[in-house]
Amino acid sequence: MYNCIDTEIQEMLPDLLHGSLDGHERQRVEAHLATCESCREDLDVIRTVKGAAVFAPAIDVDRVVRQIPPYRMIVPGVEQPTRTRIVSWLVAAAVVLAVVGGGSVLISKQLKTTPAPVASTPPESVKVANATKTSNNSQSPTVTKIESLAPAHPRALALASDIDGLSDGNLVRLMNDMNRFDALPAAEPEPVIAVDSGDSL
Amino acid sequence: MTPSPESRPEETDMELINRWKAGDSRAATRLVGRHSQALARFAASAGEREGIEELVQDTFVRAFASLDSFRGDSSLRTWLFTIERRLMLDRRRAERRSRETVPVQESDHVSEYGALDGLIAEEAQERVRKSLDALSPTQREVFTLRVQQGLSYKEIAEVVGSTEGAARVHYHNAIRTVKEFLRDV
Repeated sequence: MYNCIDTEIQEMLPDLLHGSLDGHERQRVEAHLATCESCREDLDVIRTVKGAAVFAPAIDVDRVVRQIPPYRMIVPGVEQPTRTRIVSWLVAAAVVLAVVGGGSVLISKQLKTTPAPVASTPPESVKVANATKTSNNSQSPTVTKIESLAPAHPRALALASDIDGLSDGNLVRLMNDMNRFDALPAAEPEPVIAVDSGDSL
Repeated sequence: MTPSPESRPEETDMELINRWKAGDSRAATRLVGRHSQALARFAASAGEREGIEELVQDTFVRAFASLDSFRGDSSLRTWLFTIERRLMLDRRRAERRSRETVPVQESDHVSEYGALDGLIAEEAQERVRKSLDALSPTQREVFTLRVQQGLSYKEIAEVVGSTEGAARVHYHNAIRTVKEFLRDV
């Protein structure tokens, strides 16, 4: 059995029966039908199916119209929140919660991982601290001048990168803190004890 | 002097919709009269055996209640077919639930369609009915919308919630099946 391969023509066959083709398309389809038996058979099938429409009850138009509610214009301002909108708010709340929660965790982790001021603290600050201590708590004019830049919180003393920015009071607190660290080398030189070797005899 | 509705030239669906919105209830009567039989035929072709009038009525009630969402991108009839098809699917789902564990198969649609046996008298109609029974539900919808209602593939795709290409494939498969069936009997 021969089957036509011109699908474009085949798809237009129902339109031919419904009279919805323009003049040019109609001529094209009719010219094809003159030479194609397969498409003529298709057209017969379509004509048969179209003519044998299944039974459908007659519709009482007035009865249907009586059930139609009167027109009410939709006012945008009184719209109820839709499900989509509620879901959007839930998603936004979840994102905010995740950002705040994640930020808190990061900050707490950062605080935990900050190196404690132990023996391995930068030697520079230790040196300066020691030097300050050995100078009998003299108030340097340079230190007094930049007092306003000093960190307010005692913990910030260990985080301060520049020891010159510390006020006198904070320097004293820093030194006191450092004195409590066991691993720090003693600021005072060890007393020299003379040992009698007996050579002097 | 305003012309009577009978003497008025054929108004488009959009014009009638606007008249109904402006409070003219006769516009609704004309719209329902224009499309109700096509909706009834589509329901019958799709296998609805009873309650077709209620189905058509529900379709219009729902359509008129949401006419503001109809933009006129497709024809009103296509839009009405889409609403009616959704209502038919809802009905079938409800029937399925009422039958609980018994799954719905192709044969169920065939038996629904079979209820029209007594109503289709002529031999040609009987043959056509049987040939349409051999199609899947989607093929039958696409084929009847194309052949009996004359919808374009784009409109059919809107109604059945598919693509234009898929509608074309369903049509080709359907006509091949129907052709072979009618040749064999």
